[in-house]
Amino acid sequence: MTITPDDDFAAAEYVLGTLDPSERATLAARRLREPELDEAISAWEERLAPLAEAAPEIEPPRDLLPAIEARIRGASPEAPGSAAVVALERSVRRWRAAAIAASIIAGVLAIGFVAREATRQSAPREYVAILQKDAASPAIEVTVNLDKQELTVRPVAAQAPPGKSYELWIIDAKLGAPRSLGLIGDTPRGASLSAYDPAIVAGATYAVTVEPPGGSPTGQPSGTPVFVGKLIPVGP
Amino acid sequence: MTIRGGAPGERASAGAGDGLGDLLRRVATRDAAAFSALYKQTSAKLYGVVARILTRGDVAADVLQEAYVRIWEKAGDFDPVKGSPLAWMATIARNRALDEVRRVRPVSLEDQPEGFEPAAEEIDPLAARERSEGLTALVDCLKALDEEKRAVVLLAYYRGLSREALAKRFGRPVPTIKTWLHRSLAQLRDCLKS
Repeated sequence: MTITPDDDFAAAEYVLGTLDPSERATLAARRLREPELDEAISAWEERLAPLAEAAPEIEPPRDLLPAIEARIRGASPEAPGSAAVVALERSVRRWRAAAIAASIIAGVLAIGFVAREATRQSAPREYVAILQKDAASPAIEVTVNLDKQELTVRPVAAQAPPGKSYELWIIDAKLGAPRSLGLIGDTPRGASLSAYDPAIVAGATYAVTVEPPGGSPTGQPSGTPVFVGKLIPVGP
Repeated sequence: MTIRGGAPGERASAGAGDGLGDLLRRVATRDAAAFSALYKQTSAKLYGVVARILTRGDVAADVLQEAYVRIWEKAGDFDPVKGSPLAWMATIARNRALDEVRRVRPVSLEDQPEGFEPAAEEIDPLAARERSEGLTALVDCLKALDEEKRAVVLLAYYRGLSREALAKRFGRPVPTIKTWLHRSLAQLRDCLKS
C-alpha cells in the first residue's frame, strides 16, 4: 500500500464522518481517480461497519417502500411522465452506463455528458449538459442553443431542499467570478445568454448551488456546487 | 452468525446471516420480491443508523430511500468476504447520511434542533448482547481505548457529530479532538490487524 499516513487518516475520518464539508467533497472526488485512496476508504468501511449492528432499530415511515419500488421500476414519482422527460430519462440511463469512465471537474465533483438524440431538427449548434453529483443522483439538464443565445434548464428529478432554491451559475476564467444564470424552478425555463461570448458559453462550466429562497443574497455562490457539468454538442 | 442490535427487535436477527446474503444475491438479479423482503428485514436497522445522524425525519426518510435505490443498483457488488450483508447495506446508508449532513450549505444543519439532546440515548456496542464476529473483534479493540476517546469515536459514528460539535461536547479545542481521533483510529487499525 503506497498511501501516506495523512491520507490514511483522511480516509478514516471520511468513513467516520468527521471531515468538514470541503474536505469530505475533496476526498470523495479524489477516491474516484486514486485507487489506493479508494482502497484505504473501503478498508476503513470494513473496519467500522460492524458498529452499525449495535444501532437500535427505528421504524421508518410506512409509505417509503412503495416510493422506493416506484423508483427502482424507473417511474420516479417526482418526474412527470411527459414524452420529453421520458426521452431524457432514457438518455440519462444511457449516460449512466457510460459513467464508469466519469471524469472529474474542479477537483470536487464527478461530471458526465450525454449524447442525446436531437429532438428538434432545426437545432444547429445545440449543446446539452447533464449536471449531477454522481451517476446515481438526480440530475439537472441544461440545454444551450448558441444561435438563439438561449439556455433552458430542466430539473429531472432533482428538487431543492425545502425552503431553499437551486441557483445556476456560469463559471469561466474569462468571466472572473461566477455569474448567476438565475434560479431553477420546478418547470423548464429559459434564460438569455446574449450577454456572453458564444465561445465562453460553449466552454464554460455550469454549476448549481443551494441558496436561500430567491437566490444568493451576495450575488456569489454561497457554497460548493451540488451539481456541476460542462456542455457537449448534440444534434446536427 | 447472529447479527443483532443492542435493542429489542427481532427482525434483523431473524432473517440475518445467510438469509440476507441470499436476498442480496437475488436482488442483484433484479428480483423485486427479494428486494421487498430485504427492505422489510433491514429497513428499521438502516433507519436506526441514518435517523440518528439526520435528526430531521423528512431528510432521513429521503436518504433511506436513496440508500435502498443504491442497494438495488449495487447489490451485485456485495462481497461476503468483506463483511456481513447488513454491514454492507449500513455502510451505503450511513455514507449517504454523512454526505447530507456534511454538505456545504448556507444554513448549517449542525445546529441541532431545539430539544434534541444527543446524551438522551447513548449507543454502547460494548453492551450489545449478541455480536457478529466483526463486531466482537471491534468491541475488543474499542475496549482498549480510554473511555473518553472511545466516546468521541462512537458519537462521531452513531451521531455523525463533527469535530466542532465533539470539541464543544467534550470541552476541548478542535485540534485536540482531531489528535484524539487520529490516535484512536490508528490504535483501532493496529488492534484489528493483530
